[in-house]
Amino acid sequence: MNYVLLAGAALTTLVVSLLVGPANVPLGDVLASPIVWQLRLPRAVLAFLVGGALGVSGVGLQALVRNPLADPFLLGLSGGAGLGAVVAIALHLPGPWALPLAAFVGAVGAMALVYRLGLMGGAELDPRILLLGGVAVGAFAAAVTTALVSLAEATELRNAFLWLWGGFSGASWTTVLVFLVYAPLPLVVLAALARPLDLLVLGEEPAQYLGADVRRLKRLVYLSASLLTAAAVAVAGVIGFVGLIVPHVCRLLWGRLHRTLFPTAFLTGGILLAAADTLARTVVAPRELPVGIVTALVGVPLFGFLLRRWTVS
Amino acid sequence: MRHWAQRTHLAGLVALTVTACARGEHVPARGDVAVTDDAGRRVTLAAPARRIVSLLPSFTELLFAIGAGDRLVGRTAWCDYPPEAVAVPSVGDGMPPSVEAVAARRPDLVVLYRSGPNVTAADQLERLGIRTVLLDLNLLEQLGPAARRLGRLTGHEQTGDSLAAVMDSLAAEPPIPSTRSLVFIVWDNPPIVIGGGSYLDHLAALAGARNVFHDVGSPSAQVAIETIAARDPDVIAVLSDRAVAPRYATRPEWRAVRAVRNGRFLFLPGQLFGRPGPRIMEAVRELRQRLQGGP
Repeated sequence: MNYVLLAGAALTTLVVSLLVGPANVPLGDVLASPIVWQLRLPRAVLAFLVGGALGVSGVGLQALVRNPLADPFLLGLSGGAGLGAVVAIALHLPGPWALPLAAFVGAVGAMALVYRLGLMGGAELDPRILLLGGVAVGAFAAAVTTALVSLAEATELRNAFLWLWGGFSGASWTTVLVFLVYAPLPLVVLAALARPLDLLVLGEEPAQYLGADVRRLKRLVYLSASLLTAAAVAVAGVIGFVGLIVPHVCRLLWGRLHRTLFPTAFLTGGILLAAADTLARTVVAPRELPVGIVTALVGVPLFGFLLRRWTVS
Repeated sequence: MRHWAQRTHLAGLVALTVTACARGEHVPARGDVAVTDDAGRRVTLAAPARRIVSLLPSFTELLFAIGAGDRLVGRTAWCDYPPEAVAVPSVGDGMPPSVEAVAARRPDLVVLYRSGPNVTAADQLERLGIRTVLLDLNLLEQLGPAARRLGRLTGHEQTGDSLAAVMDSLAAEPPIPSTRSLVFIVWDNPPIVIGGGSYLDHLAALAGARNVFHDVGSPSAQVAIETIAARDPDVIAVLSDRAVAPRYATRPEWRAVRAVRNGRFLFLPGQLFGRPGPRIMEAVRELRQRLQGGP
């Protein structure tokens, strides 16, 4: 029943995002308009997929580090992506894909570094080490980024931050395809780990006693969730908040079992981001709002309402 | 009619320059020089400034245009016009200004663009006993007032006032009927365009081109590609010194814009178009020519 409801909401969101936009497309022409096929549809699909991926990534990472504040970007990924993007611009790397590719490489590099730190001295991805390592790597990458921006002459660098703050302006069928190359594998891996993740939430030792291979589980979750986030960065920049809030919303509404959490988080994240992007494109037309601002403006009051309901009951 | 008006502006400028050079613009010997700057501060000098540091390319151009170029003892790394300006020592990129580098030039007047970091820098310079003036220069309408006050502060009152009169009358001219439409795209992802109430919007109007985002009130704004496609400009104006199609030209989502599909890019060199300055007539003429000639 929940899934039917969510799928219905997802479909409605996508249809609405096709029908509205700053350009006036008559209802009869919607199926033939290049504006709908080349701009609105890929943009809505990409926003939905990225929102879903961030939601799922957030569920995985919050289970891994057992910290309600965990966010897909907490583990140094946004810092790494920013450094990659700024390096691409400072070195004048050519081609339309240089910026996203460099951001992806930067995010994966930061992920690898935090992973390495997390394994040092037999720490075995101890949540505390992961969180501290993530914050440290992120801060270091941010410092190098700021140094590059303040020393380099290119005024373009300022604009790298605009890109990095995230959005779906660059959406096309090609970006959807790029995302679909990276996303399915980590999504499937995470979904397959739903049962052992339920055990991990109880604590590492209990999970081990109950038969989960905790060592392997943690590595797989960390790598899959990070890869999902890095893929999202490559096509949409750093979109905060979705990966933090969506897992909590789903837990409040549909319980703590990961078998339910993963699909509901995917659909909820997708709906939230696709709806937010539609609002971003339309409410201040002909101008546009950065989508991250809309997700926060819409999502925070909703989250506050849910929290209140949760603490009262 | 229009061309005639432009020619008189030009002739006026030439005449001004010639008379300024001929008479040598002798400095009035007595009395204070005082102006009110755009931060609302009263700037008083005992005598016209003799050692000036200019911290904006537009100010450097204005100072040379009113015949005070020989008073410059410092400029920013971006000040590349007129060619004589390059011979003046640079004090860095000026963003934000290095107060030490500026002070080391021992100026008696520093001209700054009014912005947050520059207001702080001006306060620091004043504490070192160096006089500063903070001026706005974002719009065509601000060129005249800036020229007038720079003229007063340098003792080139007459040339300053005359240049200001030319700029003021240009700013007051009604736009001519537009024949082409254009969009200024300054960044592609997210797309940032130039809106109405900006120098470039005004410049385009004077050149007979309609900025399709004139209705957007702010100088620049983020918009959707869809909006650009729907407003369907004839030409895409790009501030660039190289005539190379921007990298988004080949991206599939941008093909929805007719001018991108047809490769209608107009490359405007930043030195002439990227800053408000006394050469605006030249910029208007060049833009009009290139719009007529087709990109």
